[in-house]
Amino acid sequence: MRKKKHFIGLVSVLLISIIALVGCSASDDDGEGSASGDQVTVDIFQFKVEIKEQFESLVDEYEKENPGVKINVKTVGGGNDYGASLKTAFSSGEEPDIFNVGGPSAVEEYRDYLADVSETDAAKTALEGTLDTVRDGDEVLGLPFNQEGYGLIYNKRIFKEAGINPDDIITFEDLEKAVESLDSQKEKLGIDGVFALAAKEKWVIGNHLANIFFAPEFNNDPVEAFNAKTIAFEKGNELKRHLDLENKYSVQPILSLDYSQQVEQLFSLEKVAIIQQGNWVFNSINDMDPELAENNIGIIPVPVEGFEGHIPAGVPMYWAVNSKSDEKVVQASKDFLNWMYTSEAGKTAVLEDFKFIPAYKDYDSSKIADPLSQAIYEYASKGNTIQGWVYQGAPTGWSENVLGASMQKYLSGGITWDEMITETQVNWEEERK
Amino acid sequence: MRNRDLSFWLFIMPVILSLSIVIIIPFIYGFIYSFTNWNGLAATEFLGFKNYITLFKDAEFRAAVWFTTKFAVTSVILLNFLGLSLALLVTRNMKTSSFMRTVFFMPNLIGGLILGFIWQFVFISVFGSLGDLLGIEALTGWLSTTATGFWGLVILTSWQMAGYIMIIYIAYLENIPKDLLEAAEIDGASSIQRFWNITFPLVAPAFTVSMFLTLSSSFQIYDQNLSLTDGGPYNSTQMVAMSIVKAAFKENKMAYAQTQAVIFFLIIATVAVTQVYYNKKREVDL
Repeated sequence: MRKKKHFIGLVSVLLISIIALVGCSASDDDGEGSASGDQVTVDIFQFKVEIKEQFESLVDEYEKENPGVKINVKTVGGGNDYGASLKTAFSSGEEPDIFNVGGPSAVEEYRDYLADVSETDAAKTALEGTLDTVRDGDEVLGLPFNQEGYGLIYNKRIFKEAGINPDDIITFEDLEKAVESLDSQKEKLGIDGVFALAAKEKWVIGNHLANIFFAPEFNNDPVEAFNAKTIAFEKGNELKRHLDLENKYSVQPILSLDYSQQVEQLFSLEKVAIIQQGNWVFNSINDMDPELAENNIGIIPVPVEGFEGHIPAGVPMYWAVNSKSDEKVVQASKDFLNWMYTSEAGKTAVLEDFKFIPAYKDYDSSKIADPLSQAIYEYASKGNTIQGWVYQGAPTGWSENVLGASMQKYLSGGITWDEMITETQVNWEEERK
Repeated sequence: MRNRDLSFWLFIMPVILSLSIVIIIPFIYGFIYSFTNWNGLAATEFLGFKNYITLFKDAEFRAAVWFTTKFAVTSVILLNFLGLSLALLVTRNMKTSSFMRTVFFMPNLIGGLILGFIWQFVFISVFGSLGDLLGIEALTGWLSTTATGFWGLVILTSWQMAGYIMIIYIAYLENIPKDLLEAAEIDGASSIQRFWNITFPLVAPAFTVSMFLTLSSSFQIYDQNLSLTDGGPYNSTQMVAMSIVKAAFKENKMAYAQTQAVIFFLIIATVAVTQVYYNKKREVDL
């Protein structure tokens, strides 16, 4: 009797542990990018939430044209969340076949996993300068997503009522005069402030604004910044001057003003005249007020001495193909990316559905969807851009967590400008030792 | 307890297995990684105590530890005070007491991230508009300074957790034998005397439990911190958990983040064990 009881107990325990363990080991039969028979499965892990649905429908189209290829798309948004999730995917062995890399530091980090895509047509038609950060000798390690540009986005109606012509704003002095004039007419124009400076967002001040002023000392080349042992802040005073101007005439308190307040609450509701942002805000404004978005917004460059009239534009992210995937899968991945940027169907989707500013030749620029992107493409086609987002070449996290945070501290009055410069320089040098 | 035969071990095997898979083994791994230059993909070099030395020189990490400690102390005091007060309130015989229990407990059901965004709206927009309307300077500019960020976090956590702590106190309060209180009342003890000499000592075990809970959870706060202030302005309201995540994923220093996590674990473990030890000593048995 005792024996039998024991036996039942044993069996039930074994059963429980088996169930528990089976439950733990998730079934990963697909998702490995395995090539079985003629069917090839490509896993894509991409960062742009804004185009998630449009991208998926483009993928469907491709799958219909190429029955042998199955593509899974996974989207995780936001720059930092994406980096973390990608790393998790890699360290857990669930490596995607196509993923995104940012600047030179991401390229260095994932170097072993990056396949050469130089023989694709897309790489050959990529605009000059857009491949610099992903080039290693003869190899091209990624394909640019698109171009993005930023500057001072202004409200045309408010400018007109205040009697200011945006085309006249070339130098810092012009800008200062225009801002003062707007400020003196605040009541009449019905605005709360001239600017809405989203200083809570460290990327707005640390990445974007500061980039315009320190890019020239690295010849606008992220790779040069990536190899630099220190940062001189040659244009530090100009940066200070501009930051102070935005701060002085901004809706306060700037340190708790975030992106959505800046774009949606203040700019889209026409409570401010100018915001420092990029073409990506178009969709947000369009959701709030289509009329304003279509007809009443424009963009001018942030004035930098020696680079007046130039708008900073660059490639935010690159498509990379995982070189450690199956050979067939690597080829299928390249084919897909190539198709997306060079076929007619792909081009149309890139322009009209994704609303991208293309980073490739042979695109019909008149089809660019929104006025901000169009303006930036015009600057680009006239050669009036500062190419390259140099902050991508700074030590990882430096421009946001170090510079951005120090700029906030300066804005709060916690430290002087010179202290801020020294603090951030020291950190840069430490990281590059 | 003596007959630990085969079936005993088999019965606890599933638990031990899963515990080691999800906690013990990763913990050991993490501990080992903290001595290397692990970047999340591979570790190529053994660094010894280098990461730990860098950590002790890191002013930002020290600031995060200090901020977290201040926050934990403040919220432990406040939470236990609020929890016990609410529990005393709803254990009196009132018609609305079960309704109020639900109301007080409700915030605990909302996730930390959402709570953070709700309170961000309250602090920035509601406080701001009220301040403008009433002309009270102190109400405007919340979350844009270190002090308001700190109190913002304290208010948020108290609001969220007080109801939960209340439940624990209620359980112990309702366990106090009525005849003790009655006897005291007959003997002429005032309600304050009854509280201090009978109720308070008898809910001591509840103090142990809820202090442990509040202490460890306020040390580990992350999502509320992220959605309310995101460590801003200038990383001055950044708690240790956030500092670890930032080092790992924003600055890509995985091994260094592990080092922070190891130190953080030691701090929490020491504090929690000490607290439980001392609280246990002053518990009384009936």
